[in-house]
Amino acid sequence: MTTTSEPDTERDADVVELLIGQHMEIRDLFAEVQSSAGEQRSDAFARLVRLLAVHETAEEMVVHPATRRSVDGGDAIVEDRLAEEEHAKEQLAHLESIGTEDPSFPEKLARLREAVLQHAHHEEAYEFRYLRQQHDPEQLRRMAGLVRAAERTAPTHPHPSTQSATANLVAGPAVALFDRVKDAVRSALSDDRK
Amino acid sequence: MTTTGFNPLEHRGIPLDRQVRNWRELDVDPIDPDHSDPYTRCRIITMNGIEVEALLFSHQFARNCADMDVKRRLAEVRYIEQQQQKAVNWLLPGASSALETTIAYEQVAVDLTAWVARMEPDPYLKQAYQFGVLEDFDHLYRYANLYEMVQRRKAERIVDDLTEVIPGRPTKYHHRHPADNVREPYDRSTAAPISKLHALTIMSAEQQTMNFYMNVGPEYMEPIARQLYQEIGLIEEEHVTHYESLVDPGETWWERLVNHEYNECYLYYSFMQTESDRRIKAIWELHLNMELEHLHLACELMRANDGREPEEVLAPELPAPVTFEPNKEYLRELLDTQIDLTTLGTGYVQEAHERFEAMQDALMGGELPPSERVIDLHREQFGTDYRHATNGEHPVASLRQQHTTS
Repeated sequence: MTTTSEPDTERDADVVELLIGQHMEIRDLFAEVQSSAGEQRSDAFARLVRLLAVHETAEEMVVHPATRRSVDGGDAIVEDRLAEEEHAKEQLAHLESIGTEDPSFPEKLARLREAVLQHAHHEEAYEFRYLRQQHDPEQLRRMAGLVRAAERTAPTHPHPSTQSATANLVAGPAVALFDRVKDAVRSALSDDRK
Repeated sequence: MTTTGFNPLEHRGIPLDRQVRNWRELDVDPIDPDHSDPYTRCRIITMNGIEVEALLFSHQFARNCADMDVKRRLAEVRYIEQQQQKAVNWLLPGASSALETTIAYEQVAVDLTAWVARMEPDPYLKQAYQFGVLEDFDHLYRYANLYEMVQRRKAERIVDDLTEVIPGRPTKYHHRHPADNVREPYDRSTAAPISKLHALTIMSAEQQTMNFYMNVGPEYMEPIARQLYQEIGLIEEEHVTHYESLVDPGETWWERLVNHEYNECYLYYSFMQTESDRRIKAIWELHLNMELEHLHLACELMRANDGREPEEVLAPELPAPVTFEPNKEYLRELLDTQIDLTTLGTGYVQEAHERFEAMQDALMGGELPPSERVIDLHREQFGTDYRHATNGEHPVASLRQQHTTS
């Protein structure tokens, strides 16, 4: 296969491109978890948990405040998104607690996937499309920098060959991971304001 | 039912007065955006185009018909066809973006038109499909580059390894003088029944693509996306002109109605035979059983108003099922031999003739069209264009991939 062209992620991609790219990665990771089994599945699930933690936290701390400030009716839009995120986090924590081998895992994962894809669609339609209208390119690049800072602080991919116990350890508990990313973004934000 | 020997005229389907669906029945579950057979999505898009043509045709017929009873009969069947269109098109998932659906539309245009070109017995009609398919093939490549830019995802996630994504006849050369898009029609008295079905199928698919692009294009905010939809949308106008002119305008309204209904039976039957998703297969089967009745009613109208037997214009049995399958080598052969064709009058030539050049000058205004700029922008961002080539390098040397060195 001669598929080519790798995105240069460090290029000056703005925050909208970066987050849409993450939505696509999340979507593809869900598909990967659904179509794999055993260790492969637990590994893919660990990567999904990590990415969701990075992504959702960055959105909460970078994108939603911008929406509140600059979009007409922004507060209500953000409240709806936060409710969806909260619900998804609960589902995620539950999935993590039962583990990828639990018989109810596939069905519960499918429900989470549907909720997350819908949430992503809402963000793209009701938030992202206004970000570019309301912010200049420099602001959008700065926001992208904050999202990347969040990404750097989260634990990296668990080794593909780790046993599922290790994978779970790295991935979870998801709640702790969300908090850790939140702290990192907070400190990046305060650096950014200096 | 077997794959051969099915004559729709010998079967009665579901009585019309039992065909209305309630809300629950209309509320179909969409296919999964990431785990479905890409060709299942292609069949859904094709049948949506076929149902939309059925509706538009029926409306035109009604507007040209003074007989109140006929108008009422058309309205009754048309309402059911509206429900069929809803049940079919609503199988597409909301999780897919308009651009993903666009890429799927182009996959339909490529693999459906290539299949029809391979099966078409009439050389002039075959040439029309071969000419057109190289253009849809290039549209797929342009939209795939746009997709990676605005959605950060590769089109191979949509088309899989079934269809290659490489340049076809470059889109900028598709802008011909409108008069050169009109082809000669087949002769209704001598054309093979399969040729009539092919023309109707491809015309319907292209018409739906035209309608889709003209409505979805302005939904995008990215300037290059808006512009690319405009450009390719204008080429869909050319394609609809190209394919609709193949149909003999001497066919009576009754004959046309019968051909439409017969074609719907043919396609639902085909897809019922070839569908990989059991749930969707059941929908094709249900719709076939509805169409058999629509065909029967159309035949009654033809006998009563045209004084002819439908058997005189229809095939004695359905042709081999229309099949979605890879056409990679066939397309590569066409790329190798027909890349530089354009049209002049109702025929095909290789030179950029005066009328072609005049149209190009008027349209380009000395600038590069969106279809070129989308590739340039992609190269700026990613170092090269996006392609999904599974069968080796491009058969045309000048269209092989260039890498910018940074």
